[in-house]
Amino acid sequence: MAERKPSVAALLAQLERESHAASRDIEQSLPEIEPHGEQVTLAWLSACRALFDFDREAAKAFIRGSVEAERVSETVLPWTGQALEFMRWRGSWRALDGFMTNLPRAFGSLGHAGEKRWAEIGFVWCARQIDSGSAYFATPVLDLSGRQGISGVEQLSAPAEELFESRKLMLGTYLGGALRVRNLLGSQAILPWALRGADILQSGRARGEAYFRLESEESLALLLEHLPGFRLVDRNRLLAMLLDVWFGGAFDLKESSWSPEKGRPFVETDGRSLYVPAVMSSRDEAILAVLHAAGHMRFGTFDRSGMKSMFDAAKIEFPATGAVSWAPLFLRFGDDALRFQLIFDVCEDLRVDYRTQNQVPNYLQRLVKTAHDAGARHPDTGAYFDLALATAEGALAASRGKGGPDARFAPLLEPGATVADSYRIASVLYDEDTLPRVSDLEAMHAAYLPGRGPNATRLAHPQEKQDQDQQTQAGAEQQSEQQEQGEEESTPQNAEAGDQQDGGKREEVAGYGESSGSSTQAAAKSDGDRGKAGGSDKGVPYPEWDYRENRYKRNWSWVQEKRLAESNMAETNRLMNQYSNALKRLKKAIQSQKPTRMAPKLRQFDGDDMDLNAVVSYVAEKRAGRSPKADIYRRREMRQREVAVTLLADMSTSIMQHLPEGGGRLVDRVRAGVLLFAESMEEVGDSYSIAGFCSKYRDNVSYYNIKGFDEPLSQDVRSQIGGMSGRLATRMGAAIRHATASFEGIESRRRLLLILSDGRPEDYDDGGDRRYLHEDTRMAVKEAVSKGVHPFCITVDTMANQYLPQIFGTGHYLVLDHINSLPNKLPEIYFRLRR
Amino acid sequence: MKTAVNRLRGVERDIVQVPQVGDTAPYYEPQGNEVAIFEAAYKKRLPIMLKGPTGCGKTRFLEHMAFELGRPLVTVSCHEDLTSSDLVGRFLLEGSETVWQDGPLTRAVKAGAICYLDEIVEARTDSTVVIHSLTDHRRKLTIEKKGQEIEAHEDFMLVISYNPGYQTVLKDLKPSTKQRFIAINFDFPVEEVERKIVLNEAAGISPELVHQLVAAGRKARQLKDHGLEEATSTRALVYAANMINAGLDPVAACQVAMVNPITDDIELADALMEIVQAHFSA
Repeated sequence: MAERKPSVAALLAQLERESHAASRDIEQSLPEIEPHGEQVTLAWLSACRALFDFDREAAKAFIRGSVEAERVSETVLPWTGQALEFMRWRGSWRALDGFMTNLPRAFGSLGHAGEKRWAEIGFVWCARQIDSGSAYFATPVLDLSGRQGISGVEQLSAPAEELFESRKLMLGTYLGGALRVRNLLGSQAILPWALRGADILQSGRARGEAYFRLESEESLALLLEHLPGFRLVDRNRLLAMLLDVWFGGAFDLKESSWSPEKGRPFVETDGRSLYVPAVMSSRDEAILAVLHAAGHMRFGTFDRSGMKSMFDAAKIEFPATGAVSWAPLFLRFGDDALRFQLIFDVCEDLRVDYRTQNQVPNYLQRLVKTAHDAGARHPDTGAYFDLALATAEGALAASRGKGGPDARFAPLLEPGATVADSYRIASVLYDEDTLPRVSDLEAMHAAYLPGRGPNATRLAHPQEKQDQDQQTQAGAEQQSEQQEQGEEESTPQNAEAGDQQDGGKREEVAGYGESSGSSTQAAAKSDGDRGKAGGSDKGVPYPEWDYRENRYKRNWSWVQEKRLAESNMAETNRLMNQYSNALKRLKKAIQSQKPTRMAPKLRQFDGDDMDLNAVVSYVAEKRAGRSPKADIYRRREMRQREVAVTLLADMSTSIMQHLPEGGGRLVDRVRAGVLLFAESMEEVGDSYSIAGFCSKYRDNVSYYNIKGFDEPLSQDVRSQIGGMSGRLATRMGAAIRHATASFEGIESRRRLLLILSDGRPEDYDDGGDRRYLHEDTRMAVKEAVSKGVHPFCITVDTMANQYLPQIFGTGHYLVLDHINSLPNKLPEIYFRLRR
Repeated sequence: MKTAVNRLRGVERDIVQVPQVGDTAPYYEPQGNEVAIFEAAYKKRLPIMLKGPTGCGKTRFLEHMAFELGRPLVTVSCHEDLTSSDLVGRFLLEGSETVWQDGPLTRAVKAGAICYLDEIVEARTDSTVVIHSLTDHRRKLTIEKKGQEIEAHEDFMLVISYNPGYQTVLKDLKPSTKQRFIAINFDFPVEEVERKIVLNEAAGISPELVHQLVAAGRKARQLKDHGLEEATSTRALVYAANMINAGLDPVAACQVAMVNPITDDIELADALMEIVQAHFSA
């Protein structure tokens, strides 16, 4: 050891007096610091001392990190100075600890200038909230920068600055989620994600924070929507059509519970249904995958006799009925199960793909081409990928009648080959022991050709030979509902991707599908997924328009159709009495208006008959030397007055308010209006329905069906009208979409949707952004028009002139200047519209 | 008949045209016993209804039969504004007086032609009723406006075409109308016949391409239940083949002839293109 300068020695001695342990650490680090000279050493030592006085833990962290920091940065003073900054904040030792730990990597990956910036950003956060600072410094620098240098760090922190300024959102809340968002979607996705989160944060702290931690369903949904690639769930119809074209018959397509952090997405099948992930990386891969999985279903992977002989070959008992777990087949291989599974899949996939080629022209060409374009192989499992590719190319050659795959695989291409043959050949290949072992699930996933995937992720439902050809949706559904629900949850896509790292064999087993016994206990968990498919207690999903991003958010608002629980016959009777004169007047007016016979159209240029008057005048004019128009025909116009109308009443809280001039509440007028409308509709004979709506959050839009199109106006309906009351908010777009959908199957040329409202569309979760639901409602109106339904809004909100023109368009709304006129006006407006 | 057209190209001519000596028969590839049925019905002068999807060869069949039988063919394409006056005739003003002008149906009845009412469901029901008296034993056409009745020429024959499943929810022939006809069901020809037809209609195309084209067309027809109003027709295949002959890339030819015309639905078009690409790739 070099000689120690007296000044240094003195300081050391002082430190030793204060803490023996600390000085020992210092002694160990000192040799690295000393070469920088006396000044530097002294500065470093005094920093140690200052930190020691400030917080022992802080000092220890500083000393511990010093050696490595010096080694990478080859300096001492810059980071020593930065470390001293932490003394400005109380309780900052954790932040300093993170700082010192990450320091070498910061220098290494960001450079000196980058490190300085990195530290500065952190200091700003420390000053705001020390927890945020700690979270920042504790995050590995490489994660922060996303391998993009300091600009990566800035990309991440810039939205946080903005959110702090506007919403006081702390970095600690935001950071973890933002990192994952960037990893999954790229840095450009952070800002929109964060802005949406900020809106949600405004509507509720807890909800917002759950969003930022990516714990809430809505943030996951948003993430799934932003994932790049081919969106299978949106293209369900296309996939169903392709399956119908190539394989004939309907397949049961379900959305699997795959989510981005579960690794590579695969299409899976259990022999009954196809489970598709939300997104796959490319269209080619997605279509190959769906066709491939359908191939498994059609070409005997789940054939009962084939599976049975496979199990017999493995000397494992094959259950006579019910679902079958693949697990016993693979568990025989113990730690090497993944290797066997991969080999088996190569064989079975080859067999299925070769037969699929006969069904789908150029299928193998597409598979081979996509595989060639797939880019770099995973180092551990590239051999499997290449083997699969080589055999696929062999099969392609065989299908063209030139050559074939490796002789070992040739039996798989024979027409009679079954899944048992795949198993047999896989066992032989396994024993050859030429393919590398696989331990890591990610490596295993990378081994599959595009479109292929692990075949044994779900419980298998063996199919009898004959029903394989006509495997239909209906047939599959016969099985116990509850069991199905449970399975879905118990064997989700790549369920173990996360747990696998903990290295339990137990988890590995679950990957092949647990025995069905566990299904019931899991059923309770599946809440989140239930109803994804469509109608259920979660309701019917509709998209919602987000003007900020100029696109639809899929399955965003959920509408539940309900019956109105309240009914009030007394109120109905009271209203009937109160408005009996008005009703009489209305009915009379209707009768006089009713068209009794078709009126001929006169003065037509073309028609069945001559219009005598026109002819006379024509001839007369002609004689007089003029050249009149030859509009001398008469034609009977088939004026079909077929109209169907839905009266959709806004049933939000605001209708419960008392009228400013007294005389009851707004809801009384609404009830009266709806009642008079219903009574006069009976007189007219047009087909009509009555509904009300209210909402609380996007997933809770209630649609009260008061009277359906083909329902008579019964006492029950009348008393329900009497029981109408207001609750919650006004998510109008979703209600319009649902009302539009309920016109389906109503055969009439003109369809009218009368919306009775008292205020602007808004909901609890619109984040105070009025424009959002306005724009969505506008889009819903547009959609309705394109489906042949014409919305018309009647409102009692005198301010409505400010927003209704944009939503409904001029001429498609009416503002009633006096609420008391509503009951009488409502039927009148209708007649004016239907004319 | 093709040459008849050539002879008169660009010249206004009467709708009633008798096939001339030396004209070549329109090409038609029989799919079953339809020729025999037609001949038998003609022998007995019974009206015929041709049922089948658009573009499967109904009109061509009739052109062929009219030629073989040596009868002129009067075709009326029906549309929803077609009135009985459009069929029977109407008074027109000429100078200072009214003049009666026979409609195509009346002309055919008088001349002993085969009158073909194409897509008759499109016409309004009141105009289809005028054919009732022509289609039973009376074989008479009543001209209400003139207060006259015309006895049909002994060679006159009425043929209608009818496309079931084509907007038939709202429009359908009245049962009383339907049951007056001998009905021949048409469908798209079997694969082999369809290949023959395409080869013939687009002469010079390679048989291999025809093979792929017809296979793709047949697969595309399976999408009928997914929202296609009309399936890919044999006519569309012929068009595609002709486009290929004219030098267009097969996939592009199929897109413009078989996909774009029949659907505006992006998803459906996508599925159809998948089929086309699968057949023509590599």
